[in-house]
Amino acid sequence: MLRVEHVSKTYPTGTQALKDVSFEVQDGEFLVVIGLSGSGKSTLLRCINRLIDPTEGKIYWNDIDITAASPSDLRLIRRHIGMVFQQFNLVKRSSVLTNVLSGRLGYVNSFTSLLNIWSEEDKQRAMKALDRVGIADKASERADALSGGQQQRVGIARALMQEPKVILADEPVASLDPVLSHTILQYLEQLNKEGITVICSLHFLDLVHRYATRVIALKDGIKVFEGLPQEIDRAKFKEIYGEEAQEVRATSVEG
Amino acid sequence: MAEKADKQEKSPFIAGLLSAVIPGLGQVYARQAYRGAVIFIGTMLVLAMVIWYRHPAWYIAPLGIWLWNVVDAASLAAGRKRSFLLPILLGLLAAYGIGWQVSQIDFSKASLSRAYLIVRPMFSPDFVEPRREENSIWVGVEVPCSPEPPQAYREDGSKSLAVMPDCGGVHETLIVTATGLWPNTDTNVVWRTPIGDPKMVSEDENSMLVVPSDENGNMTVVIRVPTTALVAAPDPTLPQQHRVYLYQYRSLGGIQLSYVGGEVLKGAAVTVAMALMATTLAMFVAVPISFLAAHNLMSGNPFTLGIYFIVRTILNILRSIEALIIAIIFVTIVGLGPFAGVMALAIHSVAALAKLYSEVIEGIDNGPIEAIYATGATWVQMVRFAVVPQIVPAFTSFTIYRWDINVRSATVIGLVGGGGIGFLLVELIRVNDMRGVSTVFIAIAVIVIVLDFVSAKVRERLI
Repeated sequence: MLRVEHVSKTYPTGTQALKDVSFEVQDGEFLVVIGLSGSGKSTLLRCINRLIDPTEGKIYWNDIDITAASPSDLRLIRRHIGMVFQQFNLVKRSSVLTNVLSGRLGYVNSFTSLLNIWSEEDKQRAMKALDRVGIADKASERADALSGGQQQRVGIARALMQEPKVILADEPVASLDPVLSHTILQYLEQLNKEGITVICSLHFLDLVHRYATRVIALKDGIKVFEGLPQEIDRAKFKEIYGEEAQEVRATSVEG
Repeated sequence: MAEKADKQEKSPFIAGLLSAVIPGLGQVYARQAYRGAVIFIGTMLVLAMVIWYRHPAWYIAPLGIWLWNVVDAASLAAGRKRSFLLPILLGLLAAYGIGWQVSQIDFSKASLSRAYLIVRPMFSPDFVEPRREENSIWVGVEVPCSPEPPQAYREDGSKSLAVMPDCGGVHETLIVTATGLWPNTDTNVVWRTPIGDPKMVSEDENSMLVVPSDENGNMTVVIRVPTTALVAAPDPTLPQQHRVYLYQYRSLGGIQLSYVGGEVLKGAAVTVAMALMATTLAMFVAVPISFLAAHNLMSGNPFTLGIYFIVRTILNILRSIEALIIAIIFVTIVGLGPFAGVMALAIHSVAALAKLYSEVIEGIDNGPIEAIYATGATWVQMVRFAVVPQIVPAFTSFTIYRWDINVRSATVIGLVGGGGIGFLLVELIRVNDMRGVSTVFIAIAVIVIVLDFVSAKVRERLI
């Protein structure tokens, strides 16, 4: 269980990205965070694995205080929390396999990993992860030779290498076209059904309705909604996205 | 309309008068303060230039500008603007005229006959020569005579060389007799002073004396002791051993590297090696420094930011000093030779490479760094998997490019004693060996073109 308590984040520039945000995530949930660009979604996800340090508040994971963890404890916590990014964040010039194997860095001996030497077991694990996302045949190609959808699948495979209990997905489909969006989210849904908690920020409301088990909404860093996806009606939508907003659908392909 | 009326209130006479006293003042009076300031500064600049040069003819320029300024002020007061063309032309005329005289441009100084003497040999570069075999013998001759001179006779294998008499004063006649030479072969006769200075012994002492040997390999010739034989002697009355040399050459067929050609190849190799050593040394120093000079890594807190500014400043200062100047300093520290050049190039390259490297680091994508940290990796692992793959190709590319630049610099650095082909070039220019000089030119061109091509190809692959 993940517990976020009164988390605030003010950047050195003075921007207040999060204001007193609290919520809980039960194991096995597919929690979707929605909100406009700049509403604090990315900051919130990065506070959970402390890629960004919150200025105030506490975050507990299974009653371990992440916000107070020492650097070495933090690394142990991070290896159980996989992360998937909007821009994939692969090392473009490295091979797909190396990118996937780098997900294992939290587990391996520091010295051999620096020489890019991996155990047979890890290599097989990487091939299995790639196989799960359907691109095992691309293992030896350079990451930037792949299409956007394939790169995001590499990103998921990398997260899988961590044997994560939680996956944070920061707008995982915002850089992809609508059809690919569903493919990627279906992988996340599959992992969620296998017991991995997923916390995912999304833009399109129809995707939220389709995949989320629960939703929280941020507006200017404040949590303005928490509940089930079907509870977001027109009035709530206007409240979250502002009066001018029109709902845009990610796709009509979905039946 | 009000503006126009306003202008008409100003008197052209007063405006002109004011501008005649102080250039630009009349324009200010006519409510064109900016124009007035420009005219004042411009006039003063031209005036200062002409006064500094002290050539009366050029006073025409500030005088003309001053006259134009008076007219301009008057017409401005009358509501009409004049074009700036005339004063600008006058100013430029003075600037170019004085510039021409100051830089002493004088095309009539160019002497075609002198240029011909220098340039003509350059069209036959001295790189290879026909392969040939040498046969030589020498004998000592005392000049001037002592009471008991040693015998001027020497044997060398089957060859022998004798001079009669055994000694002589300047311009005295000597009979040179040789046996055991190659038969029927042209033989060069050369006089060498005790310090090895060669003297011609033909009648006019200005060309090589060549005498053929007979069918038995014998040869006899009458020479005179060269008039300049004692020019460099510390005491012309002190008897000293000079030498008479005989040289014969025989073609072996084919061609071989000439002496200068060999030296050029050696010099070229030294230059390329100098650049390689300097670049490699510089790379090892510049890589760690570049991390300290990367803004994105050092802007975290005031302390590291301070280091960043200090490192950047030092690099900028080092980079602004030409490698040539650093070389002059190092020649005095470590002495003439390639090592001085290597050190000069290395120091200059450290500054240049560290700046380029740090810009690469500043330009890397932050995303992979986040992603690797998110897996629970340590800082070292993050650098290895997120930073290194992003910077290595660009680092390599910049390093090769720097090597390419350093090869070019190394040729110039040789000129001040930094070793390599540039050093050879200076030596050849000193002895007026223009054929050798042109060989060096060609070698430098070939090295630069080849390296340019290779480095471009390699870098193409990396990017």
